Order: sequence, then structure tokens, then C-alpha cells
Amino acid sequence: MSAIDDAGRRLRARRRRRDYLLFAAFAAPNFLFLLLFAYWPVVYNGYLSLTDWDMISPAKDFVGLGNYTDLLTDPDFRATLWTTVVFVVGIVAGGLVLGLATALLLNQRLRGRDVVRTLTFAPYVLSGAAVGTLWLFVFDPNYGLIRPLMAPLGLTAPAMMTDSKWALTGLVLVYLWKNIGFVAVVYLAGLQGLPREVYEAAALDGAGPWTRLRRITLPLLSPVTFFLLVTCTISTFQAFDVLAVMTGGGPGTSTSTLSWFIYDQGFRAFDAGRSAAGAMIMFVVLLLITAGQARYLERKVHYQ
Amino acid sequence: MSHSLPSRRRFLALAAGAPAAAALLSACGATTGPVAQPGGSVPDRYAGRTRTVLWSTFADVPGRALQDLADTFNRQQRDIYVDVQFQGTYDECAQKAVVGLLAGQAPDLCVLSDVKWYRFYFGDALEPWDEYIDPGELRATYNARLLAEGRVKGRHWWLPLARSTPLFYYNRTLFQKAGVPDRAPETWEEMYGWAKEITRLKTQGKRVAMEAYQKIDGDWQFQCTAWQWGGAYSRGMDVTIDHDATVAAGEWQRKLVHKDRIAYMSTDPAGDMGNQLIATLITSTGGLRKISEMAKAGGWELGTGFLPRHKEFGVTTGGGGLGMFKRVPKERKQAAAEFVRFLARPENAAQWTVQTGYLPVVPAATKSPALAGLLKKDPNFSTAVRQLPHTRKGDQVRMMVPNANVQIYTGLQKIWTGNTPARQAFSEVATRLRKGVDRHRQSIEEHL
Amino acid sequence: MTALDPAAPTRRPGGRARRLGLYALLVLVALIAAGPLYWLASSALKTNPQIYAYPPHWVPTDLRWSNFSDAWNAAPFDRFFLNSLVVSVVGTAIELCAALLCAYAFVFLPFPGKKWLFLFLLGAMMVPGHVTLLPNFLTIAQLGWVNTWAGLIAPGLGSVFGTFLLRQHMLTLPKEVMDAARIDGAGHLRTLFRVVLPMSRPMVITVAIVVMVTKWNDFIWPLIVTSSADMRTLPVGLLFLRDQETYANWGAILAGTVMVILPVLVVFFIAQRYIIAGLTQGAGK
Repeated sequence: MSAIDDAGRRLRARRRRRDYLLFAAFAAPNFLFLLLFAYWPVVYNGYLSLTDWDMISPAKDFVGLGNYTDLLTDPDFRATLWTTVVFVVGIVAGGLVLGLATALLLNQRLRGRDVVRTLTFAPYVLSGAAVGTLWLFVFDPNYGLIRPLMAPLGLTAPAMMTDSKWALTGLVLVYLWKNIGFVAVVYLAGLQGLPREVYEAAALDGAGPWTRLRRITLPLLSPVTFFLLVTCTISTFQAFDVLAVMTGGGPGTSTSTLSWFIYDQGFRAFDAGRSAAGAMIMFVVLLLITAGQARYLERKVHYQ
Repeated sequence: MSHSLPSRRRFLALAAGAPAAAALLSACGATTGPVAQPGGSVPDRYAGRTRTVLWSTFADVPGRALQDLADTFNRQQRDIYVDVQFQGTYDECAQKAVVGLLAGQAPDLCVLSDVKWYRFYFGDALEPWDEYIDPGELRATYNARLLAEGRVKGRHWWLPLARSTPLFYYNRTLFQKAGVPDRAPETWEEMYGWAKEITRLKTQGKRVAMEAYQKIDGDWQFQCTAWQWGGAYSRGMDVTIDHDATVAAGEWQRKLVHKDRIAYMSTDPAGDMGNQLIATLITSTGGLRKISEMAKAGGWELGTGFLPRHKEFGVTTGGGGLGMFKRVPKERKQAAAEFVRFLARPENAAQWTVQTGYLPVVPAATKSPALAGLLKKDPNFSTAVRQLPHTRKGDQVRMMVPNANVQIYTGLQKIWTGNTPARQAFSEVATRLRKGVDRHRQSIEEHL
Repeated sequence: MTALDPAAPTRRPGGRARRLGLYALLVLVALIAAGPLYWLASSALKTNPQIYAYPPHWVPTDLRWSNFSDAWNAAPFDRFFLNSLVVSVVGTAIELCAALLCAYAFVFLPFPGKKWLFLFLLGAMMVPGHVTLLPNFLTIAQLGWVNTWAGLIAPGLGSVFGTFLLRQHMLTLPKEVMDAARIDGAGHLRTLFRVVLPMSRPMVITVAIVVMVTKWNDFIWPLIVTSSADMRTLPVGLLFLRDQETYANWGAILAGTVMVILPVLVVFFIAQRYIIAGLTQGAGK
């Protein structure tokens, strides 16, 4: 072992140590924020979910899994979960179908389609609070937009937001309006990447447009669909702003989704334990969905 | 590689240590110790004064009335600047107060509803007024019945401000058009008979409805209906909302909404009254000024009366009072008490009633020229005063069990909008309320 | 049904009726997307009697601009604007710097277990906002930051999305440029700001705008963490304007809504290329 080798190694080691330190320094701020405001809250929320605390008195009583058993045996909480499922499925499935239809339309060589694409995407970037306020006015049964639109059809405009038969539907419609542009643009990007030759060959085989859509377009777009399915499901589970502004979980409990429930129990009823337990349940559900996605992708990669 | 380990370890330890430290801190919770004042600025001309923050629930007409009084107060003396901050509905304001106390930041004065103040009282968060305003002075100033509602264990925790009773409002113009008597109905059956005529009328192409129920906090009005049917939400700490009489009252309204289709639930019944979508409305006397103004603007005449009866007559009190938090420093409490004294001066209490319609909580106010004149000139403003002696305090469970009012109005919403049978809706609510009673009974009994 | 075919030849003879149908659909889509926005903007300029009228006035006749001053006077909109601006600009600046440094470190600096650390970073994306709500509020309360700009900004600073996009982009940068810079003796910070940053400009702009719009629109956190009117951001201020005006004064409420929407809409129309690219990132992978 020569002295030169030794010196070189030491030099390299020192440089490496300097680089490690530099990495730590560069990455530290971001990691600090995430640890403090994303990871730590999971731990602390988990702890809160095991307590009974009214947020006024100093004492947090430890109740073990009491909040979870309470929730899972509570018919109202089960109703909340069911409402959440309907809400999510309505928005995600409706969004995918209508978004794809819009994308297919915008994929045609039509004059003005870029303008329309921009217009449909615009609602997606607007504040949910503002969109909710706007649609409250649109849905007003007396002075809103729906009354004159439904009158010619001989229909009376329902009180969308104060009728529990309609409120959830109304919310789904608003979220669809807000999200379809996003789905459409993602699909559009997918459509534009599809190989033309396959279609030409299929046309020669005499496949009609409907067959081509079912047999070629949809299968080729399936990775895009899958991406949209997962991202939309995750974000819809957490949808809050439009709902909070328009219905606040009501009337009755007809639009009380898990997302509203967590806020309502935590910051309105001040039942920290129930709120935290609800949040943990949401966390687990979303983790399962993500894990499902990962497994699907793995399988797909394998298959190919 | 091995050289790098210490530094990496140190980095990870640091990264992991910071939140752990925060954890230890926040695990204690911030439910003790003095509180800071919420933000806000003092206008230049009032610089150097003690600032008093009042969290209010009054919007629109009453909001302006309270701001007027604060402005006068700020002009009239040199030591204190009152900063009125609107915080939304009674529920929202109380929520902000809880959250504020957790964060060590609370207003010096807070408007709390007849239901919400108990929550802070049971949480030992309120300061009795007695040390800042002499109990003798309190008794000499305020209406005895209303003052007593805020007294527990011989101390005053909650002072009357925007106290109210529900009134029966009706659109005299529509009543005349329908050819029914120009007065409030004696009984619900009489009202129901008139409604057949009234609901034939149309405004803006829509049939006029008999009445509308308030989406948020509608449990307050329905409590009276329950009493009129001989029921109640609770007797003492026993939940009775699922008993037959209360259920029958719920069924009455369900029938009006879903079978007769002459009533509905609204987010803003007072607005609907103003726009003549409904012909009658039961709502707080605090809406009187606003509805009067809307009537004037819309060119129709407003009438008021006592609530209709059914088996019996039943009417409650409600509205907001002032609470002060224990953790606010002493000087700020003293400043706050000064403003409360100012509000209780007969001329100011009179101005408040004139500009809003809320009950005159200070009896001497009724003798001040402004209010005395109005009471004589506009009979609508005297209805509430005449009705006050017939009121009774709200049912205990609704007032004292945290969130009970929300549970009840959520149940009512199901009846009004989902056509849920009253028995089903109320038995669900009752289950929840009984759970709440079990959970809080000890703390409630200790505090009463 | 033919409209559903992505690759249908567009200049087929006899396709005139079909094209007419397609254009009708296009107009319909445009109307659905823009109709409510038009209804909002036009109603915000109507007098109250026009708003509370049936049949409706489709085009406001005498424009009532004072709805805007009504809203402005009823609530401190100047403060709402300032707060929204501070929260979104300062918040974005800090988040972007942290994300840039972090992404650079992951691409150009060695660290043992770097891959695992990156997975750990991505894992934060799995944490739903609702789980962090209560604990973050308690943390901010403990720091004494409730109802302050710091409290509004801090919990949103961690960046997964931005770091991820920037890292992916930096991985595509040609290694030789880096090496050249290193040989020139440029330090890492210098390389980052003189070489990497200019080469990543479109991605940085994309991340910045998307992050900024998200912060501008954020609702639940400002709702919880602010308690006085002068600290509210626009979306939360709008909610209070509505409570305060009640539905008897839609004119002012709608004017307030326009004020919340308009800045984002303008930014969107100017920078839609970046926004769409940023928001749809990750598709098709």
C-alpha cells in the first residue's frame, strides 16, 4: 500500500464526505417540511384517533380503538362511507366517459377546437370556493340558470342544493363540470400518440367506427385510463371545497362524504378522536388504492 | 463509506428530532395560559388605546347596527378601541373561538348563542362577569328573566345582548289578496285552512308557499312546534325527542312539505319572505328590521304576531349573549366590560333594538324616546316584547350536550328534504343524544 | 357514433352532415363549459331587481359596477388580495427553492441509500391532506402561528410533485454540460443556478405556476388557520362575504366571486401551455 494510494483514497473519501454533506444540506429543507407537515401528522393523527378529546379541556382521554369500533358500528358512518362511494364513482366514472367523449370530439380536425379545449380546461384551475358559489347561483330554483333552461321542457327546476334527493347529484354535476376538461386533455394527449397505421389497417378490414373505438382505441388508451382512474379517485376522495361551500354535508346527511365528515367532526363538533379515526380510515383506503395500482402496473409490465 | 456514517446519522437525527420536539410540545395542547389577541389594526386616530376585540355573529342589518354602536363608543371616550370582527353564524363563531383558544389567541368579547355558551362554560373557559360588573348593577340593568338564563352557581357567565324570541311574520298584502283575515292565526289548524287560499297566489310565476324552514339552526323554531304539540326535545336530561308528541309535530311539517307541498326548507327563509316566495315565516325577532326593509323595498306590508298554538302555546327564547374567556388578561377584560356597560345604557340598548328588532334586554330602554316612539308607531316591534312573558327556556339537552343542536337540525333536515318519517329521523337523533348525555352527564352535573 | 372515432378521415365525401353535427357538438361543449362563467360575469353586473327577476335578463342592460364596490366595502378585499398574493408568491418561492435544491441533490450528488430516500419522499404524496389537518393545526398553534402569514404558508411548503418533476427533468440534461461546469471549478450552487436552472426553465415555470395556482385556490387550510378578516385569503373571504351579505344580495356575492376567479383565469389564458403541461404530467407513463 503506497503513500500515494493512501493519499488518493483519503482525498476521495474527503470529497465524498463533502458531497454527502452537501446532499444533506440541499435536501434538508424539503425533507424537513415533509417530515414536519406530512409524516409527523400521520403519527400524531394516529395517536389522536386513540383518544377522546373535546379540544377545549386539557385532558385527552386514551380510549384505545374505541373510536374505530364506534365508527364502524355506527349506521350513520356507514351511510357516510356509502355516500362517499357514490360520490367518487359518480364523479370518476362520469368524468372518464364524458372526458373521453370530449377528447374524441376535440381530436377531430375542427376549426376552433383549440379554443374549446382551453374553455373546457379553464374550470379545472378555478378556486373550488368560487366555483361552488357560482353554481349555488346557477342552481337557485328561483333566480338561477336552471329555471329558464328547464322551463321550456315543461319542468320545474328542483331545489338542487336544499333537496336531499338532488343535492348529491348536483354536487357530482359541478365536480364533473370542473374536472372534465382535465380528463379530456389527458385523453387527447393519449389519442394523439396512437399509431395511425393500425386504424388504416382496421378500416381496410371493414371495421366500423364503433368497432374501432372498442377494439383499438380503448385498449390502446388503457394506461391513460388507468392513470386517470387512480388520480381522479384519490383527488375525489378528498374533494372538499365545492362541497363545503354548496351543501356543507347537508341537507340532512345526504352529502356527507368522508372528507366532509373528517372536517365536521374535527372543526365543528370538536370530537378530535372521531375525526382522526375517520382520517386514518381514509388514509388506509387511499393506500389500498395506490397499492392496487402498483400491483396492476407490475402485472402489466410482466405481461408485456 | 464508513466515514460518511456519523454525518449521515447526525443529519437523520436532526431531521427526526425536530418533529419529535414539536410533538412533545403540542402533545401538551395549548389549553391553559393567557391568550393573545386576534390580529387586526387600530386606525391612526385611535392609536395608543387599549384594543378590545369583539367576535360577532351579526351580518347585514344587525351587523351594521353593532358597528354603529362600536363607532359611537370609539368616538365618545379616549381609552378603548373596540374592533368588531364578524365570524359567521353562531356555530362558526363558536368554532373559531375553540380553535382560537387552542392556538392561544382569543377575542376579549365573544357573541355566543344560548346553546353555545354552555360548551365553553363546561370546559371552564368562561370568566364570570361579576368581578367586572357588580352583580347588583347587573340585576338593576338587565331583564331579570334573560339575565337569569346566563346565571349558574350564583354567577353570571353570559350577558344578554341580541336576545330574541321567534315571531310569526306574515305578508299582509298576500293575506288580503287571498281574502283571509289580516292577523296572525290563533292555531295551526286555522293557518292550514288559510293556506289553501294563500297558496293559490303566484309571485314571479311561482306558487306562493305557506312557510319555509330554516336549514341551519332550524331546531330552534321547531322546539316551539314540538312544545305546541305537547312534546319536547328533553325533560331534564332525559331525551324525549322520539316520544309521540314530538314525532307528531315532525309529521305535521313533513305533511306540509311532502304531501301538501306548501312548505319547504330554505337556506335563507328571511330572504324568501322578503321576495314574497312564502306568505308566513317563523323566525327570530332579530330579523324584524331586515324583513321590514325588504317589505318596504318590495312594496308589501308586513305583519307579526304570536306563534300559532296547537295543543298548547309554546315559545322559547334564544339568540346571542356576551361571554368573556377566562384566559384573557385582566386589563383587556376590564376594557371589554366598559364596552358592555356602554351597550347596556338605555339609549344604546334602545338604538340596538330599533335598528335590529332584537328584544330590549335593558328594560329602561323601552322608556327612551327612540324605542318608545317606535313601539307605539310600529306594532310589529312590540310583538316580541308582549310575547316575552310567555316564553320559557329551551330544553336542557339541546342546550347543554355538545353538538346536540346540530344533531337535531340534521334530523329535521332529513324530514324536510328526504321525506324521512319523523319517528325514524327522531329515533336516530335520540340515539345520538342519549350517547352524548351519557358521555357528558358527569361534567354537566358538576357544573350546575 | 362516428364522432367517437379518433382516426376517421375528415375529408370524406358526404361528410358534410357529419361535420355539421360535430360542430354542433363542439358548440354545445363550449356552451356547457363557458355558459356558467358567462352567467356569473353578466349577473355580477346586474342590479338586484334584474337578478331577482323571472324570466331572467340574459344580457344586463344598465351595467351596475357598484356590485364590485359593494363587495369591496362589505369585506376587506384589499387584504384578501394581499394575503392571497403573499401566500401564493412567497409560498411558491420557498417551495420552489427547496424543490430545486432537493431535486439537484438527488440527481447530481451522491448519498448512501439515495434511492430509498427518494421513495420516502414520494411516499409523502400518499398522505391525504385530511390526515394532516388536525395535527398541522396543533403544530401551527404551538408555534404561535395561527392567523399569521407564516401559519398560512408553512404547512404547504413540502414539495413532492415539484421535486419529482424537476428531478425527472434534470435527469434528461446532458451529463457533459455538468462535467464541463465542474471542470471549470464551478461549485454546486453555482452549477445549479448558472447551468441547470437556465436549462430547466420551462419545467421550473410549469412547476411554479401550478404550485402558485394551487396555493391561490387552497381553501380548507386558510379556513381553519385564519380567524380575523384581515388575514383571510380570497376563497375564504368569499365564503364570509356570502355569510355576511346573505342571499338577499347576490350581486355583491357574484362580484366577489368574479374577483376570486379573474386573476387565475387571466394567468391561465396567458400560461395555459405550462399549466396544462404541468397538471397533466405523469399521464401516459
